[in-house]
Parts: sequence; C-alpha cells; structure tokens
Amino acid sequence: MTSETSMRRSTTLIACLATLAFAALASFRGDSAPAEATLEEHAEEQAADEHGAPAEAEKPHMRAPIGVDLYVREDAWLRAPGPEWFKKQSDLQPGRFTFNEEGGDGEGEWVDAQNVYRLIYDEEEDVYAYWSWAGPEQLTRGRQDFLQFCSSCHGIDGDGYGRSGQWLRPSPRSFHQSNFKFTKVIQPLPTDAALMRLIKRGLEGTPMLPWALSDEQLTDIIQYIKYLSPEGEGWRDPFTGVGDVVESGEDTWVGKEEYAIERGKRLYHDPSGANCALCHPGYVNPSALGKLLGDDSVKARESYYLPVLKDSAYEVQGQPVKIMPPDFTWHQVRAGTTTQDLFETIASGIKGTAMPQWKGALTDEDLWALAHYVESLINDYKGKPDARAEFMKGLREAK
Amino acid sequence: MKLHTKMMQRLTSLWTSGITRASLGLAILCGMAPEALAGGKRWGPVPFASDFGYRFEDLFWLITWLCVGSFSIVVIMILIPSVRDRYKPGRKAHFDHGASLKDKRLATVISAATFLVLDAWVLVIAMTDLREAWWNIPESEEAGVYEVEVLAQQWAWNFRHKGADGKFGTADDILQMNELTVPNGRSVSFQGTSKDVIHSLFIPAMRFKKDFNPGDINSVWFKPITAGNYTILCAELCGYAHYQMFGELHVLESDTFDNWAADASELGVAAYDSEDTEARWAWDWKE
Repeated sequence: MTSETSMRRSTTLIACLATLAFAALASFRGDSAPAEATLEEHAEEQAADEHGAPAEAEKPHMRAPIGVDLYVREDAWLRAPGPEWFKKQSDLQPGRFTFNEEGGDGEGEWVDAQNVYRLIYDEEEDVYAYWSWAGPEQLTRGRQDFLQFCSSCHGIDGDGYGRSGQWLRPSPRSFHQSNFKFTKVIQPLPTDAALMRLIKRGLEGTPMLPWALSDEQLTDIIQYIKYLSPEGEGWRDPFTGVGDVVESGEDTWVGKEEYAIERGKRLYHDPSGANCALCHPGYVNPSALGKLLGDDSVKARESYYLPVLKDSAYEVQGQPVKIMPPDFTWHQVRAGTTTQDLFETIASGIKGTAMPQWKGALTDEDLWALAHYVESLINDYKGKPDARAEFMKGLREAK
Repeated sequence: MKLHTKMMQRLTSLWTSGITRASLGLAILCGMAPEALAGGKRWGPVPFASDFGYRFEDLFWLITWLCVGSFSIVVIMILIPSVRDRYKPGRKAHFDHGASLKDKRLATVISAATFLVLDAWVLVIAMTDLREAWWNIPESEEAGVYEVEVLAQQWAWNFRHKGADGKFGTADDILQMNELTVPNGRSVSFQGTSKDVIHSLFIPAMRFKKDFNPGDINSVWFKPITAGNYTILCAELCGYAHYQMFGELHVLESDTFDNWAADASELGVAAYDSEDTEARWAWDWKE
C-alpha cells in the first residue's frame, strides 16, 4: 500500500467520523433542547387562551406552492363595459374598433387590436350583455405572472390567503368575491383601465405597491383576476355593470380654496349634509358644532374625535372584518392625497365598506369642497405630532 | 508612415504604459480625497445618528485608509523597479528566485507585519465594537429602553409598539407599517421575525442591519442621538419588489414623541377589533 492511498483512506475515515459526530450532535440537540416556540405555535396558544379552544392547525395561509398547476386550459367570456364605453373609446381613438354585425337584433362583435368584445343575448336571464373573450394562452400568461408577483399576498388561488397576507389588515383582496375597494368607479366593477391604474399606482400605506410591470403583463394579469370570479358572479354575471373611473371635471373652487374648505367643513359635520363625522372623526369641539352649523339642536355622537369601526360587506376567512374610517389627521389615505384623488374617492365611494358613493347625492361643487377640506386636514396635521396634539386638545376639552 | 498613424502609436504606447495609468489613478484618488475627508455628500456613508455610529465610522475609515495605504505601497514598489530597471542598451538582466534565507526572512517579517497591522488591528477593534455596542443589547429592566416588535413580510415592514399599558398583544398597541416612530435619546430595542422569507432591517443612518428569519426571533438595538427622518431599507434580496421595500424612521424629541404615542395608542384602541383574532401577531418579549 502506497502512502498516498493510506492517506486518502484515513482522510475518508476522518470525514465519515466527523459526519457521524455532527449527526449525533444535531440529534442530541434536537432531543434535549425543546424547539423554540415558533410564531404560529405562539399564535395558536394565544388563540387557545382567549377562546378556550385550540385554533385550527391548518391555516389557508400555510399552503406551499408545491405542485401548483401553471397552466389554464380553458377560455372565458368575461363582462365588458356597456355601449357608452365603446362609444367613448371610439370618440377618443377613432377607428379603434371594427364592428361586425351578426343578425338583425343589434348582436355583433367589436374587434380591436387586443380583444374581441361581443354583445350576447342571455336567453336564461333575458338580458343583453357585453362580453370580452380571454383565451387559454392569455390566461396562462396571466396566471404565471400572478403567481410570481401577486400570490405571496393574494394567495396561490387568488383567494386572499397568501403567506404574506396573514395577520395583514386591511387584508389582501380575494378575487373570488369581485369586490374592489379603491378602483374609483361608480359601477360595481371596474374597467381594465381602472384596474390597471390602481395596480400601477398601488395603495399607499399598504404592501400593495406601485407595480412597475408592462401594460401587456398587467392586461394578462387583469384578465386572469377577472377569470377567478365564480360562475354567475362578478365578471361572469350578465347583470353587473362595468364602468370607468368617475369623471372629476374641473375643480370649481380654483382661487377660492379657503371658501371651499369652509364649505367642506360644514358639509363634513352637517347631519343633513354629507355627515362624514358619523363614522370618520369630527374635527370640531362638540360644543362648537351648533355654532358651526347654525343649529343648536345638532348633537355630536360619543367620542366625537375618534373614528367608528364599521363592518365590511366582504368576508375574510368567512367573516366580515371591521373597517376603520381613516382619521385624516393621522392615517394614510390609500388612494391618493391630491384634491382630484380625494374627489374621485369620495365621489365613487369605497366598495364593500360603509363609505357610499357620493356622486349624485351631492353636487360636484360640494364634492370638490369636501376634497379641499380633507386635503387641508391632511396637509395641516398629518405627520405633525405637535400641531395635531394642540389641535386635538382643543377638540377634547369641553367648552 | 503617415503623421496621424504615428501620433496614434505614441498615444497608444503612452496609455498602455503603467506609469501613465497609475498616475492617472492616483490623480483621481487625490481629487476624491479632500471631499471624502470633509464628509462630503457624494463620498462616504450618510452621517450617523446613533450613539454607536462613531464606532462604525471609525472602523470604516480605518479600513479605507489602511487599504489606501497598503495599495499605495504596492503601487510604489512596482513603480520603482519598473522605472529604475527599465530597458537600456547593454544592460543585462539579473535573475533571482528569492530563495535565499535572507529573502525568506524578509518575506516572513513582511507577512507577519501585514497580518498584525492590517488584519489583527481591524479584528480587535471590530470584536470590541461588537461586544461593547452591537451585541450589547439593553435588558428590558434597564431604564428608558423602548421596545418594538418587527414583522417583516413581502414587501413591507410591520412595527408594533407596546402602547399605553406597556404590554405587547393588547388593544392599545400601536401598529405602524413602513413607518417607525421612536423617541430621541432612548435605547430602542427590536425583536423581529418574518412571515415568509428572510428580510433584513437596515437603517443606514443608525449604522445597523439585522436579518429577520421566518420561524425565529432576532434582536437588534440602537440609540438615536439626533431627531429627524431616516430611511429604513431591506438589505436582503426578498423577491421581486425588494427594491420597493422601504420605510421611514421618525426620531422625535421626547415631548413630541409622548404626544404622538398617546394619540397613537388611543387610535389603536379605536381601531381594535376584538373578534378579529386572525389579525394579531404579537409575541411575549423574549429575554
């Protein structure tokens, strides 16, 4: 035996012994030292403490992305906006659509560079509805991008139970519920353009970031999100309206902002006006409310300077959750803080929450006034703890 | 040969000569040095705002200047023979393997000196800094320690403060996302974990960085000494939107902070939904 061979053998022997020793050490540590309580275990213990029963072992958030099907093998007819939208788009971009009439009763299809839209008569429901077609290739692309970019929060199945979405409030949207809070549309469902705008801008103060994806990717993802609607609901329901972002028009208060803020302040607190202070905090001292509104019979609710929680219309893990109307001097407003953003949010309302659509209930002039007032609250007090503390002191003290 | 071809050849030979390049490099370094020494905006780290920040600063510049010094020595030792012993007609090359005892001794002394001066020096300072500052996490019982729990996720930072009652996991906890407000002049102690993948809490102005791993709780601390707004970053590639995972640290003077904390705690109670047990993620502080 050469010295080289014996050396090699002894090296192998040492390596084997080291491995064995390491394995023994590892198993010994595993036996003697109890594993530190993980976050999940702790959460379970906590839940068990409070309710007397252990929490569910298997949470929907805990699914691992193993063996996930990357392909969509079916096509889908999804709701498209109505005839006004086609007319508006044709006016904006003449020649975008070509119309192929089929039959005499107005049925036919509009074709543009990306898609085919079709007016179909639903015999069962006795209703005409506009639909667009999404093919398996597009849905597959959408699903793959969705898995890459969206599924960590919105879940592998798009049900809002992603691993990063656990403990998250506001919770990520479930695309099985066809409820979109901040798309700023009057109709129940948004157009592709409205959804794309939301995804590109993100929601401030949440992990819904401004997504820097290409328009093609976003279009595919949006078709896939729509495809996730259950049969007969949302994007697959012939009765649901699909609309574009609410039109804001011109700000009617340019150059007269202080009057707008004054008017907005009255509307905000007036029970026969917008009555925002019913859920959002009131920003006047209760004793000064009568003077502001010129009506001494108006009484402020309890804890006037705090927001009131409201139930959501949508569900998270099978239950409605509480939605907090933001305190504008404190919380981050999700859908933008410019006057126009605030106008659009107030005008269209926030779907699935207690925030109703105000367009129609108030004139545009009043909506702009409210937007100016809310903007002034944000500018004056948000992120300025001293100024806000001084302001709140005046609200809390009974006069 | 045409004139311009000749000039090009001259220029090329000038550029390829080590002397030109080395002096160019030195000139650039010399131009940078005054700004770097004056703590200019373009060069060097952002000004520190935590009480152990000076340790980082000292170590950073020590390493930088040691590298500059040793690099200069190497460059000079290349330059001297390449100028002194350059080609001349009639000069004969001398070959030496450097294998004599004298050469070996010299090499040993230089290696040992290099190790002791460069590596050991830096290592001793670094270990002292770790022991006395970064690993010297203040105990809960110590007066004035402000505790914050951190939950990292794709792609946001969740922060939880104790609120008015001094306990984690209760109704009056203060929850912040991508924003952290702390009092100036008090030790801020973090315990943190992650929901999904490894994230790393990085506040450059406070001179610390700590990985937060799913299933485990890590601790880190700092003591701000200057009020102001600073950037919070994620320093561990955590997925597609890692680059967007940042927040802002607000260091407030203690009066302002007390105002802030009282209001935040009150609004925390107003926003607390006792039925929504799914929404909670606090843990008992690990001693």
